[in-house]
Amino acid sequence: MSVGTQSYQLSDYLEKLPGTTFRKLYQQPSTAFAIFRRMLPPLAKIFVQALLYAPSPLLLKQLDVWVKAEGKAQRDRALSILRSLHIVSISVGKDKPQEVHLTTNFQNSLRLALEGGGSHGSFGVPSTLPVDPTIDIPYLDRYARKKWEDILHYVVNSVGVHGDGGSGGSGAGPKASVKDLLLAGRLVERRPDTKGGIAITQAGFTFLLQEANAQVWTLLLLWLEAVDRSATASGMDSIDMLSFLFMLASLELGRAYDTSALTEPRRNMLPSLVDFGLIYIPRDPRQYFPTRLATTLTSTASALRSVSSAFAAATAAAPTDATALGGAAPAPAVGTESRGSIIVETNYRVYAYTSSPLQIAVLALFCQLNMRFAGMVTGRLTRDSIRRAISYGITADQIISYLAAHAHDQMARTAATVGRPVLPPTVVDQIRLWQLENERMRTTPGFLFKDFDTYDEYQALSSYAEEIGVLEWKNDKKGMFFVSKYEQLRDFLKSRKSSK
Amino acid sequence: MPRAIRGVLIECEPAIKSIIVHLDSANNDIIIEDLDESHLVVKENMVHLLKQKLEDRLKETYRPEEPLADSE
Repeated sequence: MSVGTQSYQLSDYLEKLPGTTFRKLYQQPSTAFAIFRRMLPPLAKIFVQALLYAPSPLLLKQLDVWVKAEGKAQRDRALSILRSLHIVSISVGKDKPQEVHLTTNFQNSLRLALEGGGSHGSFGVPSTLPVDPTIDIPYLDRYARKKWEDILHYVVNSVGVHGDGGSGGSGAGPKASVKDLLLAGRLVERRPDTKGGIAITQAGFTFLLQEANAQVWTLLLLWLEAVDRSATASGMDSIDMLSFLFMLASLELGRAYDTSALTEPRRNMLPSLVDFGLIYIPRDPRQYFPTRLATTLTSTASALRSVSSAFAAATAAAPTDATALGGAAPAPAVGTESRGSIIVETNYRVYAYTSSPLQIAVLALFCQLNMRFAGMVTGRLTRDSIRRAISYGITADQIISYLAAHAHDQMARTAATVGRPVLPPTVVDQIRLWQLENERMRTTPGFLFKDFDTYDEYQALSSYAEEIGVLEWKNDKKGMFFVSKYEQLRDFLKSRKSSK
Repeated sequence: MPRAIRGVLIECEPAIKSIIVHLDSANNDIIIEDLDESHLVVKENMVHLLKQKLEDRLKETYRPEEPLADSE
């Protein structure tokens, strides 16, 4: 998906961290730089640059020089982001005008990052040992792609409903530790009634639909949270881990780095990072290579497009519909990457020009696939196939936006020339109707209150229930109402009784 | 003194509600209170069974209109 979506995930995580954590994080120039590069909207970057070399705090209203009159909302947003990331602090004085300055650690680190001073090794220490010439960028890309596709396959295959679709190309699958992470993050869940014992969740489907970069962050944040939970046992520190990830992101693709320059806890992280495909360790373990998954962590460039070419490239190919997925389309994929490949006809037939087992497996989630040819599969959207998908927790909107985002160029072109939506409206409506069919009734457990002695008593209690937000239904005429919780109402009744 | 009765509130279309009322009429073991044309309170332990029965009933009356069989 878009840059915006990925950043939100990371920012959600960062927002929860306390200020002391940020002070620690910003000791590393690479972290300060990564946050600056990745997390800030343009206006916030301008503010930071203005403040970076200011000898003394600026007046808050001096920043308005860079803000157009109509840009007040953006200014407030930029400042609130800067504040929540503990990059600036703003003085609160009643009689004095408000002043703003960068927090010390951030200021020092960002200066260091820009000027390159210090001996912090924050941007990695290149290995001085001879490098195996066969380990070049294409090799690393292939390696990272393989690792990442294994993980995606595991998630897709967890459905276990498709015929020949998803069986190919997955190899041994990800390591047990990665599987545990996916389970802990509820991207998949244990379900004894399925083939592999696990099943994809709605979050898992959303995960599959994300761009590779966002997927990587999702998994990494799951990992950090898992470490947080078991901090004492593992001896790992999620803050240091996060700053190591930011450091990895600043490394150069295709270059070997010195393992021995890393601290002990960071060296212990390497095996997990290998499992995710973020780094590659050659036979000589004194070196490590960051892969494209790692080096694009904090940039807005797309990570390993072809890893999820089935998803991401096509999202870029249909920018108008990508917005439906939650943001602006990322920059188009480079060169010969596969573009949109799915054709949906008004008769519910689906043709997908793909041989990617991954994409076929995703299609099999909600399509009844009939035939498979070299480079193409055909299938059909049926009531049963959609209902089955919905029973996994996939929503109709997710299916529709997936189909729209991956629509074949031909469909997008035709739609554009006649000014109609990419997908046939009948099909879109029908998918929604099929979902509605499953939601014939809405159930809410709770309590029915009735047989009130007086209308006043009914009125008092029902309006109190409404106030505290537990009221689900009421009928003044019948003098009945339904609430989802009753404990507070019981106390309310008691106190009412006693006050009389 | 008002009474509080544990149950499950069901919100649905009138058509669905009439099916539920019909299902209940056999033994009167489902519905606690019939609220209005789109709301009912039913017994908590009957919800699962009710969903199943409703699904069966709808299968009888509703023939999903599938497109013609494939002839590729």
